[in-house]
Amino acid sequence: MMSLRPKRVRTRLTLLYVGMLAGVLAVYFAGVSLLLFWQMSGILKRLAAEDLETIKGLLYLQGDDQVGVREDYHHHTDWKQVQERLLEILGPDGSILYRNERLGSRTIGGAPFAGEGEHGYSGRSARMSDGTPIILISRKYDLQGRTILIRVGYSQNLIWNQLKETLLVLLLASPVVLAGTAYAGYKMVGRTLSPVSKMAHRAEQINSEHLNERLPIENPEDELGHLARVFNAMLSRIEQSFEQLQRFTADASHELRTPLAAIRSIGEVRLQEDAKPEEYRDTIGSMLEEVNRLSAIVESLLTLSRADAGQIRMQVSVFPLKALVREAAALLEVLIEDKRLTFTLAGDETVGAQADRLYIRQAVINILHNAVKFTPPGGSISAHVECKSDSRVELSVSDSGPGISAEHSAKVFERFYRVDEARTGDDMGAGLGLSVAKWAVEANNGEIGMINLPGAGARFWIRLPAVGCPSNHEMRH
Amino acid sequence: MASDNQTQMRILIVEDEEKMATALRTGLEADQFSVSVAHTGEEGFFLASTETYDLVILDLMLPRRDGMEVLAALRQKGVSVPVLILTSKDTVRDRVRGLDAGADDYLVKPFAFSELLARIRALLRRGKPELGDRLRLADLEMDASGRKIFRDGKELTLTAREFDLLEYLLRQQGRVVSREMLARDVWQETARYTPLDNVIDVHIAHLRRKLDEPFRKKLLHTVRGVGFVLREETP
Repeated sequence: MMSLRPKRVRTRLTLLYVGMLAGVLAVYFAGVSLLLFWQMSGILKRLAAEDLETIKGLLYLQGDDQVGVREDYHHHTDWKQVQERLLEILGPDGSILYRNERLGSRTIGGAPFAGEGEHGYSGRSARMSDGTPIILISRKYDLQGRTILIRVGYSQNLIWNQLKETLLVLLLASPVVLAGTAYAGYKMVGRTLSPVSKMAHRAEQINSEHLNERLPIENPEDELGHLARVFNAMLSRIEQSFEQLQRFTADASHELRTPLAAIRSIGEVRLQEDAKPEEYRDTIGSMLEEVNRLSAIVESLLTLSRADAGQIRMQVSVFPLKALVREAAALLEVLIEDKRLTFTLAGDETVGAQADRLYIRQAVINILHNAVKFTPPGGSISAHVECKSDSRVELSVSDSGPGISAEHSAKVFERFYRVDEARTGDDMGAGLGLSVAKWAVEANNGEIGMINLPGAGARFWIRLPAVGCPSNHEMRH
Repeated sequence: MASDNQTQMRILIVEDEEKMATALRTGLEADQFSVSVAHTGEEGFFLASTETYDLVILDLMLPRRDGMEVLAALRQKGVSVPVLILTSKDTVRDRVRGLDAGADDYLVKPFAFSELLARIRALLRRGKPELGDRLRLADLEMDASGRKIFRDGKELTLTAREFDLLEYLLRQQGRVVSREMLARDVWQETARYTPLDNVIDVHIAHLRRKLDEPFRKKLLHTVRGVGFVLREETP
């Protein structure tokens, strides 16, 4: 079934508007008619009363039981009031003494009721014997010793006709009024809504190519302006994440392309001439190394994209942070020894971090690994665990490496970001280690950051929700 | 060293991708297995339910009949052959689904071939006695429970980690072991993105210094791009 509801807001609003106006007009017309009716019946009654007085003066007795009216009194007998007048004169017993021509054989009001016209004028609506509604005024008089009841009536059709005419005029005028209103309303709604269609038009043009476009704001104060502003803010956020995504995709394909290019050229070069079996072995081995790097990158990318999609659930527990750092350091111990680095771990043994242990362990390993990688042989790394407030614990890892220049330090946690563009060729060499750490820490309601130490070296820190920090802890400095 | 059984073990590979299937067949045949290949789920189901195999390697994404369906149908039919799933789907849910459907093991692509071989051997060895505590290769002797290791009659002093590493290599002697396998089985690291490769390489270097450097005959070899192997070099 098709809905009769108009689709466009503009049409709907206009129809609603016109409908409401029509309703108001109808009520208004009804009110006007009622008032008119009241007023006109009042006027008619007054006329009838005046008429009645006039007639009284024109009466004369005709024999015992007839009354005459000197109709010739009226100079203009074509006067409408005279023509329309219905006149009946009754005796006290209800006997008919006079009926004027217009009345003929009809009666108005029937037998007199008790007290009719005795004290002033009795006015009422009545029906004639043939059913015509009338306004009726009656009065008792004494005519030369005889009591008579004079009744003057006017047909209510007079009023109705007047009403009809007035209503007709009003009704004839109303379509014009309504049409005018509809037109004006349609225009006005159109103008009000025009920012919306402009916004819609502009929004249609915004796609991935034109994400920098914004919706027009005509009046920032009104509701539509507010809508546009909210929309624009949303566009900014989308644009931002879109750019991030594009950069990420570009970086990722670069990272994937590099080992692919290596595999390809290594293979091609080897196949150009015959070689000894050891040489083939070596070539294949070298290709496999690149394959391993590819796998590691894909693996990390998958992890990060799952993390982005919120598919990884944290299993929160409370564990002593220092013990975790010790465990991570033990894993890397052999690397530390190999580079003759000194590693020290200090701080509160008992403070617990409240987080997913496995992922925080991963983060700590990555941070330590990063420190080991960038500290020159013979250097030192020191890790420190301490409470920063009664509910935050911080682990800081300081190294005696070269530090990270200001231009790089803001980006060290970005995916694929490498301070040193030369490939290191190790497992997490794709520059994902610290971004994995950042994700893991932040997914556990923690913060991660990095500062350069005065002199040389860098300090990476993570802060996590803590259990077991003294509540009135003296904050350092 | 590879032929520890007189009778050849029979393996069915259900894999639609031609190159992958060929690589698997070649690799497994080189390791003395008898191999059949099915290229569709239906063919795989037919072969697995009519012939007798010691192991089925099942890809999940197959034309016509999905690997998971094939597995469920086989188990419903009462075919109890060990099944190893090979797939590129690697979420925990996928793994659980596969193991619930009756798979015995689950290996995610891309994988190291040495890892596949190790898993296959583990599945085939199920219920059979372990090698024991006394391990031996050429003039190398290990007492695993006493945690002692001798080469040419002289005891070597190894750190705990080096000992574990050597024991693992010795148990897998003659077979190439990948860094992933070492990370998982010796270091017990489950997360694949832990940066352990450097750590493993340094440990291998240390081990090599103690194990091989003083001796003329080298036992611990690096297979470039693949991993490490402990064996007597056959020139």
